[in-house]
Amino acid sequence: MPSTPQLSPQEEQEKLLEEALNVVKTQAFQMKRCLDKGRLMDGLKHASTMLGELRTSLLSPKSYYECYMAISDELRHLEMYLVDEFQKGRKVADLYELVQYAGNIVPRLYLLITVGTVYIKSNELSRKDILKDLVEMCRGVQHPLRGLFLRNYLLQCTKNVLPDAVEDQSTESNGGESGTVMDSVDFIHLNFAEMNKLWVRMQHQGHSRDRERRENERRELRILVGTNLVRLSQLECIDVEKFKQSVLPGVLEQVVNCKDAIAQEYLMECIIQVFPDEFHLQSLNSFLRACAELHPNVNVKNIIIALIDRLASFAQNEEGPGIPPEIQLFDIFSQQISQVIQNRPDMAPEDIVSLQVALINLALKCYPDKVDYVDKVLETTEEIFNRLNLDHVEHGSPVSKELMRLMKIPVDTYNNILTVLQLQHFGPLFEYFDYKGRQLMSCHIINNALENETLIPAQENVDSILNIVNCLVQDQNDQPEEPDDPEDFAEEQGIMGRFIHLLQSSDSNQQFLILNTARKHFGAGGDKRIKFTLPPIVFAAYRLAFRYKQLQDEDENWEKKCQKIFQFCHQTIGALIKAEQAEIPLRLFLQGALVAGQIGFENSETVAYEFLSQAFSIYEDEISDSKAQLAAITLIIGTLEQMSCFGEENQEPLFTQCALAASKLLKKPDQCRGVSISSHLFWSGKSAKSGELRDAKRVSDCLKKGVKIANQCMDSSVQVQLFVEVLNQYIYFYEKGCEQISVQVLNQIISKIRELLPNLESNEETEQINKHFKNTLEHLHHKLESSESVGQYEGLVL
Amino acid sequence: MTTPTATARITSKKQTLEDAYSPPANFLEIDVSDPQTHGVAKKRYTDYEVRMKTNLPVFKLKESSVRRRYSDFEWLRNELERDSKIVVPPLPGKALKRQLPFRGDDGIFEDEFIEDRRKGLEQFINKVAGHPLAQNEKCLHMFLQEPVIDKNYVPGKIRTT
Repeated sequence: MPSTPQLSPQEEQEKLLEEALNVVKTQAFQMKRCLDKGRLMDGLKHASTMLGELRTSLLSPKSYYECYMAISDELRHLEMYLVDEFQKGRKVADLYELVQYAGNIVPRLYLLITVGTVYIKSNELSRKDILKDLVEMCRGVQHPLRGLFLRNYLLQCTKNVLPDAVEDQSTESNGGESGTVMDSVDFIHLNFAEMNKLWVRMQHQGHSRDRERRENERRELRILVGTNLVRLSQLECIDVEKFKQSVLPGVLEQVVNCKDAIAQEYLMECIIQVFPDEFHLQSLNSFLRACAELHPNVNVKNIIIALIDRLASFAQNEEGPGIPPEIQLFDIFSQQISQVIQNRPDMAPEDIVSLQVALINLALKCYPDKVDYVDKVLETTEEIFNRLNLDHVEHGSPVSKELMRLMKIPVDTYNNILTVLQLQHFGPLFEYFDYKGRQLMSCHIINNALENETLIPAQENVDSILNIVNCLVQDQNDQPEEPDDPEDFAEEQGIMGRFIHLLQSSDSNQQFLILNTARKHFGAGGDKRIKFTLPPIVFAAYRLAFRYKQLQDEDENWEKKCQKIFQFCHQTIGALIKAEQAEIPLRLFLQGALVAGQIGFENSETVAYEFLSQAFSIYEDEISDSKAQLAAITLIIGTLEQMSCFGEENQEPLFTQCALAASKLLKKPDQCRGVSISSHLFWSGKSAKSGELRDAKRVSDCLKKGVKIANQCMDSSVQVQLFVEVLNQYIYFYEKGCEQISVQVLNQIISKIRELLPNLESNEETEQINKHFKNTLEHLHHKLESSESVGQYEGLVL
Repeated sequence: MTTPTATARITSKKQTLEDAYSPPANFLEIDVSDPQTHGVAKKRYTDYEVRMKTNLPVFKLKESSVRRRYSDFEWLRNELERDSKIVVPPLPGKALKRQLPFRGDDGIFEDEFIEDRRKGLEQFINKVAGHPLAQNEKCLHMFLQEPVIDKNYVPGKIRTT
């Protein structure tokens, strides 16, 4: 005997299926030929042989399905023929008996179903009885795969003949009881129970090592079982009451008792999908109670979430009727979910939190105004964490991710931190995160406020928020020893700085309290944080001072309050100095002096003087870098030049002090620049009484001193640069009409520059200086030629 | 006229949910695996792991594992043939040809042969142990569940209550 080559299991299947389909084809052909010739008995015999192919145990579920489809196609011909025959007057009852003589049970029952369907259509016998008989007889096949397909055939054939009426509409002429919708329900319930049983049993067939493959095959067959539920949902006479009283309980009884995870998971989702939302709403308790009784391996979370999602979108559907007011949707879910959790001690904490996520979504979608529902979910979550002894939710863990999802929902839905603050359990639950988790959540909350520009109008709100996002405000006990990446840290503190600008009340006294509270929190932030957070507080305080100024007619104490604000700022800036900051406090003091001067309250000159002298002290004590010193003195001069609140006795020492400080700068170039800039004080600097000083003598002195210092410079390149700069100052004042400056002086400096410039090494720097000089000369040329300034520059030598 | 008898049947008792869904009460699965060849020359032999899982009450252990060689299977077959009334299925062949000297290969110790024999033995023991009458024989229990077979045992039946 020649040895056949070994076939792979797949090739084997293909071969078996092909053979089976060939038989089906041949037998179907024969069957139809016999029927055409009116030889019913022979036709049935071929049909029976064809059906014999469904007795096999060799085909995989997939191949068996193909074979079944081919055969059920062919059986339709038989059915049509029989319906014809019946209309011609043939008695179907005889046939019903006849086919029961088929030798093998599988073909026998397929034929019985086919004939039974015709029998029903003939109205010869009670439809109810026939249906009952068929569904009972199918018990004869207990092999899971064969039984499932046989019963699927039963469902297929009876699809259009199931009674669907509230009351029996039978008359004598239609053969007795035609049945009611409840008979159909019983029929499908029974068929469903049997199919589910066979389906669940499949797992015990064959060797345990093939279990996984078998379970996969089992999943592929689920739709056969689910068809029962689809059929139930298609019965039009089922109303809410019938659904609640019998349809659903009958299905759930099987689902719960089969104790099989695959079946339960699929069927529960199936129930959710095939029946209408109105039915679900009225039967929530039974459904959810069943959920609590499911096998521990069932992912009950997904089932409940699927139901919640459906009902939530039902509630949101504007054209729909909405949730009936008598159904306490949230309470029902809340109670039942906690029952589910209680029944499952091994449920993963992240799954528990996911359920709370679903619940919070339900609350927000169905009851957007009920903040207490959301709070209730947070409270429950907190209780669960307590019970599980989960006090440290590690960042990156599944629980942490879910908890974050949970807590972001109210933040992102309300888009208003103030509403979030109404949730009593938000803050406490927040504490369960570890440092990293709190940090991320805090940034999320603050960013949300920034994006929505949520103003925080009361001291208590400020207190609550800053307590919640405490890890962005102050050092934490559990923070990692290594500091954050400096850029990340700066970004994080930057958003806090921006957030401070949202702390705004329309009531000025409340605003002052807010700022005090903010400073209390942020002041404890440590040296690294306060340079980001205190400056915005100081600026907010200055803004408040302006507000009091506007309120002077309504608030008789406005001047005292301004005074207090400046004390507050003084202290706050002092904290920054203690943290070894110099540049920022210097600027804040100068800004404060300007503000005090502009507002002009009772004591403002003293305050402005104090702030300026503080700026001077910082300049003298804290700033040592020469570039920074020049920048600082320039700022101070600029500020003073703007101010007009000082009387003689304060102004004189301040101006003199500035000029002196400028001339004491260490490096000659800095000295030169400082001194020439200070000249502006004596020209456009103002006193309270007489306005701009216009002291030509002192201006000229300053500039002369500048020239003198420039002369002392050793570096010729820098020297020329300084001359060009001073020349520009001279030109400025000359054009302003300073009488102490003559064209001769200009000529002198110009010729001096002309003399020096060619000796400079040619490089980029020289190029720059040259350009500056040329531009200056061009300006002068222009003035000389311009008709508007005729004679102004008489005697100028260019 | 209708014939009400067409659907008249003897009514059967309704199955309880418990019965419908509980796992089968006659689970029995025996794997023959892990062949190992021991000894040298004339004393060389191969044995197999015989691992059993069951929920049948007749077996003392619900899970057991023993090592058996071909001759142990032969012994079991002889005992059953003598004492029980069942038709005992055949064992895979003895392969006498492979045991002749001067072969170019390893004879009965070739991997391919051992695998074929393993499959045969597995089929044999599953058939035998699955038979309700064989399940009463002491020899079967000793073969499946005792670490060492006592060939001088007193043959007899297992009492089940």
